[in-house]
Amino acid sequence: MRDTVPTLTTDETLLLGLAEGSDQALTRLYQLHYPMVLHLVVNNSGSTDDAKDIYQETLIVLFEKVSAGDFELNCQLKTFLYAVAKRLWLKQLTRRGRSPLIRATQFEEEPADAVADDLADHLRRDQQFDQMAESLTRLGEPCRTLLEDFYIRHLSMQGITEKFGYTNTDNAKTQKYKCLARLRKLFFADYKDND
Amino acid sequence: METGSKQPIELILAAYGRRLTFREKLTQVHQTLEAEGQLTPNAVEASTQVRAWWQTHRPTLAIAAAVAILSTMATMILYRSYQNSHKQDQQYGMMMRNLAVLQQTQTKLLNNISGRGRVFQQNPGQVAGSGFLLTASGYLITNNHIIQGADSVYVQSQQGEVYKARLVHTDPQHDLAILTIGQDTAFHPLPPVPYSFEARPSDLGERVFTLGYPREEIVYGEGYLSSGTGFRGDSAAYQVAISVNPGNSGGPLLDERGNVIGIITAKQTTSEGATFAVKTNILLNALLSVSPDSLRGQVLALNRRNRMARLSRKQQVKQMQAYVYQVKVFKH
Repeated sequence: MRDTVPTLTTDETLLLGLAEGSDQALTRLYQLHYPMVLHLVVNNSGSTDDAKDIYQETLIVLFEKVSAGDFELNCQLKTFLYAVAKRLWLKQLTRRGRSPLIRATQFEEEPADAVADDLADHLRRDQQFDQMAESLTRLGEPCRTLLEDFYIRHLSMQGITEKFGYTNTDNAKTQKYKCLARLRKLFFADYKDND
Repeated sequence: METGSKQPIELILAAYGRRLTFREKLTQVHQTLEAEGQLTPNAVEASTQVRAWWQTHRPTLAIAAAVAILSTMATMILYRSYQNSHKQDQQYGMMMRNLAVLQQTQTKLLNNISGRGRVFQQNPGQVAGSGFLLTASGYLITNNHIIQGADSVYVQSQQGEVYKARLVHTDPQHDLAILTIGQDTAFHPLPPVPYSFEARPSDLGERVFTLGYPREEIVYGEGYLSSGTGFRGDSAAYQVAISVNPGNSGGPLLDERGNVIGIITAKQTTSEGATFAVKTNILLNALLSVSPDSLRGQVLALNRRNRMARLSRKQQVKQMQAYVYQVKVFKH
């Protein structure tokens, strides 16, 4: 968390802040670009909640690209976000069986191909994460909590040892390893995409 | 080894975790901003959007407005000019119709000259022409084409008195007809006719005049004798340069001294100022062939004494007016 950036205005600093997980950057992103997406969705037979979901999805796409470290912005951030949101909302409309015709601003330098690739990646990750969530559910306790504590909540091995009442950290490590092996089995049993 | 060809499960798990965390954070931010009222920006943002839109499109809008104004003006001007031209067309058309009617009548007059062709097929209706007295006792001469096919013939004097006329004799070949109004009880014999009848051929260049009823009022016309023969060399008629109109048919053609030298019958439509009048000697011939029966014992003797020779034209016309009648014909 870097609090040395006083105002997050330029796209670069915003992206930097986003990659570092800065709340300020996120807030600024919301303030700057959420109204645009809200307008898009609401004007095309969507609700405020739809707009919220779409914008979150859009930011997730951006965030995951930025955190992967290979993100190169070839246009204004605003344009990128709008393009992604538009596509996401189109997909949503199609899924709902609505006409995929929407009234939207067409930006001139819209990075159509890049966005399409990004969204393909995003879709793949979505499937992966869905699968992961399912696998975790099927994994059952205490394995699930143990793994989540370690990999998601970033608890230390020591903390986990104490929380789960293992005699020592080695024990906990062994337990973690076993859980991970089971998860791997569950996960890859169904998940065919070996990308 | 399952993990060899696949992404390590730890990485996927970690990425999954990051997303969950991020999503949570997003929800938090969203809720925070929503609570602060920063995410209901439709009013504020809409206005800035409108302003931005206006800024972006102002030049385009200005041009569009200019084009719209121009095209509106152009349309108005075009419409006005179209209207004007259309109006002129109508006036022109009406004139054409009038001409067409006149032409039709004139052509009928013309056809009649050779005695061929059916004339005046207007039915039922009224045909009007002119006629003038041969004698003070009520014999009139007029054109055959006027009274042809008539059920009843009336003559109307210049004062407006109407008499019923009886057909005495017709000469279709020369387009002459003799009527009498002497049987009408309302008719009182007039003083002897002031003009005489000149049977000898008149000379070219002779000043001539006529009286007739091209309309309800008597109309005077003046001209000169331009040819000793009529239409297509018809020796029974003169060609006169005088302006006449339909309705003048049957009117007298008089020379300077007030001698009747012919009866106006027709006019050539294809050339200006060519009017034809049947010569008086033809009239005299016609009178000779009138059967005594149809005269009912009366004598049809023409006046031989001209009482207008020394009068001025105005006096001559005044003298004559009472002897020139409008002939009205009713047909079925």
